[in-house]
Order: sequence, then structure tokens, then C-alpha cells
Amino acid sequence: MEPETVPHTLVDARGSACPGPITDLSMAYRRSKVGDVIELWATDPGVKPDVRAWATKTGNLVRSVEHQPDKIVVVLEILRR
Amino acid sequence: MPTRVLVIGGGSGGTMLANALDHRRHEVTVVSASSDHLFQPALLYLAFTGAAARPVRPERALLGRHVHLVEDRVTRVDLGSRQVSTAAGRDLGYDYLVLATGIQSDPSQIPGLAELNARFGDYHSTVAQARLLWRHLDAFGGGTIVLGQSTPVCKCPPSPVEGILLADELLRRRGRRGASRLVFLTPYPRPYPAEAVNEVVEPILAARGIEVMPFFDVDRIDTEASVVHSIEGDEVRYDLPILIPPFVGADIAFEPPDVLDPDRFLRTDRHTLRVQGFDNVFAIGDGTDLPTSKSGVGAHLEAKVVARALKGRPASFDGRTNCPLDLGHGRGTFVIGSYDRPVARSRPTRLKHLMKIVFGKVYWLSLRGWLEPVFDLYFKLTAPRPS
Repeated sequence: MEPETVPHTLVDARGSACPGPITDLSMAYRRSKVGDVIELWATDPGVKPDVRAWATKTGNLVRSVEHQPDKIVVVLEILRR
Repeated sequence: MPTRVLVIGGGSGGTMLANALDHRRHEVTVVSASSDHLFQPALLYLAFTGAAARPVRPERALLGRHVHLVEDRVTRVDLGSRQVSTAAGRDLGYDYLVLATGIQSDPSQIPGLAELNARFGDYHSTVAQARLLWRHLDAFGGGTIVLGQSTPVCKCPPSPVEGILLADELLRRRGRRGASRLVFLTPYPRPYPAEAVNEVVEPILAARGIEVMPFFDVDRIDTEASVVHSIEGDEVRYDLPILIPPFVGADIAFEPPDVLDPDRFLRTDRHTLRVQGFDNVFAIGDGTDLPTSKSGVGAHLEAKVVARALKGRPASFDGRTNCPLDLGHGRGTFVIGSYDRPVARSRPTRLKHLMKIVFGKVYWLSLRGWLEPVFDLYFKLTAPRPS
């Protein structure tokens, strides 16, 4: 992995179904600042629409959503805080 | 010679675990900062129905005779040298340590919240705070009630929805609902984060005329103007604010300090419940960083896993949640899931509400472990199914 793509914050929400991965993302957002990159790992398929809706509402950017065999990896960039 | 098991915390998890251990194999000591044990779910009913019974009993009376109780506050835990220090100057050693240290509300994290909670009360900290909130609700003649969790981590995830539905029920019973606006704040995309539960909850909120403001992470409160502001840039004016404070882990200094995450939750193995890096240290209950709901039933199931491990039996936690959700007007549902089995939709019924009330009634007995065969059967019959 190239150094510039190394995420600033890794949020591991695998196995989280209740309350869910968005909890862990929101907590990371509270601690973040503009320019931060958050990489979210989840197993709950609901994470995809939730993260997109979250990013639209908060004005932040979903850089990528990748399905891996054991998890869904979402990379977000914090543009607004 | 029996091994020494030291349990820090006399809440649900710590008490159940201590009682579950065999005194012939283990010398068990519980350190609890309080001589009283609070049944925390009862705060909801103190605050929203004016329930009179005080949900508190002496911790000593809840522990088996074989369990030593030290009423003292732990200030420092050194996992390397196996030494626990207390406020009264005690130094306690152990062979096995169980951290059932819980979480506590911390309104100081949000500007204006400490003042707000002190004035209006809350239903996630103490009996006095819950009764203060009831006095405000009891006297409420009309206007805007704003209710929500300030941050995404909440002790008992169903409790925000339960609070707004019970507030609605109270106002309807008193004929004041027409003069009131109810606004529900949530940091999530929808009223309940788990989609299957939300499918049950959202239509009920809509039918009762409760407004929902999603993606609302509380940033600050302007107590002069009576306005709550969110990180996302929204705001809402209140007459009666019911804001659930943020929660943090217990105020204990750990060595090494990196066993805690930034919110002071203990970094805990999801299955073995051992604290990262220490085979003889376990964590259970709200104080862990497990991706499950912070609830009494979680602490109960985790205590069972650790009790088995300490008896030398195979033991693994599956992340099971089993949270009752009071929907008001005598109906309830359950939030049931596990690490690998998502929460399924559960039809609201009167029976499920009754089960929540019965769990509350038998709580004190369940701490002693006397109802375990009944609970084992219940958990088996209600186990979440694969998706």
C-alpha cells in the first residue's frame, strides 16, 4: 500500500449489527478534523446505504466501497466538520 | 489452593459472575464503589411514569456468602504486576481479574449539557436525576419536548425510542398531546439504527405524530436561547429537553494505558472476553469495546462465558443481544441478534411488553443465578436465526 493511501483512522465495526457500524463511524467523525481519512470495516450489508446517506447529509466524501470476502471496506474523506 | 478472582464492579455483570463461581475452586472478591446496587432499566419508568418503587438494594445482600465485598473505589490497575489500588489506600492482588467497571455519563463533553441535565434531569444516571425529570414531565403543560441521545454510544440502545414513546403516552393520557410537539433527535440515519427494528419503530413514531431529526449528533446547547445544535449544522428549540449524555469508561488509571480505547472502553477480545494482551484478565458489561449493545443482558451473557472459562471449560461469546423495547400503551418488541446473525424483525405484542416487566421483577433473583435454567431455556428458544 502506498503511504499516501494509508488511512488516518481505521474503524473496525465488523460484527456490529446493533446498534450498527454507523455508531462507530459517527464516533470517529466526532474525533475527526477536515482532511482526515476514515477507513470503515463492516460486515452488516446495511452499511452501504447508511454511509452514503451519512456522507450526503454531513457533506463528506465516500471515496470507495469495496466488497472483500470477509468484510465491506468503506473509505471516507472528511471535508466538513 | 483456591485461585483468587478479583472482580472490579458490583453492577449486573460483576455480581452475576461472582455468584456463579464455585467457592471451593475460587476465592472471590468484589470491589464496588457503591454499597448500593441500582437496577438501571427502572430509571426509564421513574422518569416517564413516576414509578415510586426505589430500584436499589444493598450489594451485600445480592452476593452469595462466599463472596467477599470490598466497598471502595478502584483508582489504579496495574496488569503487569497484578496490583489493584483503591481510594482508601488498599492494595489488592489477584490470580484472575474481571473488569466489570461499567460506564458513566459524562455531560461535560458537550457545552451546555451539564447545566441542562442538572436542571431538567436525565434517565441514564441516578434515581435523583430520573425523579427530577419526572417532576418536569409531570408539570409539563405544553410546548416542545426534544429527546435524544447526544452521541452515538448509548447505554441501552432502545432507551431513546422508549423515552419518546412513553412521553407521548403520558401526554395523551393527560390530554396534553395536542398542545405539545415531540421531536426525536438521533445521530443515526433513521430512528432505530438496526433496520429490522426500525421497520417496526418508524411507523409507530409517525402514527403518533413524533417528528424525527436524523443525523443529529449534539454539538452544543445554547441554554440562553433554549436551542440544541448538531455537528451536522441543524438546530432545534426546546421547552423541555431530555438529552441522554455521552458515556465514558470508569475513571481508573490502567497500566498499560493502551488497554483502553479513546473513549476509555476496554479493548476486549470479542469471543474470549480477555483484555488484549493479558490471559488472566477479562472484561464484561458496558465497559468493554465489544460491538454489541451496552445492556444488562449483554453483561449477563458475558458473565456466563467468563464463569465457564474460569472453571476451565470451553467458552466463547457469540455477541448475543436480547434487548426489550417498550413501545408504550402496553406493547413491546425485542432486539435480538449476534455477531454473525443480524437483528430480525419482531412483531410488537402485549406479551413482549409483559416479558420486559417480568424481567424487571425477577432481576434481583437472577443476580443470584437461581433462574439460570429458565434463562438458558429462554435464550435457546429465542436464539437469532441465520440470515
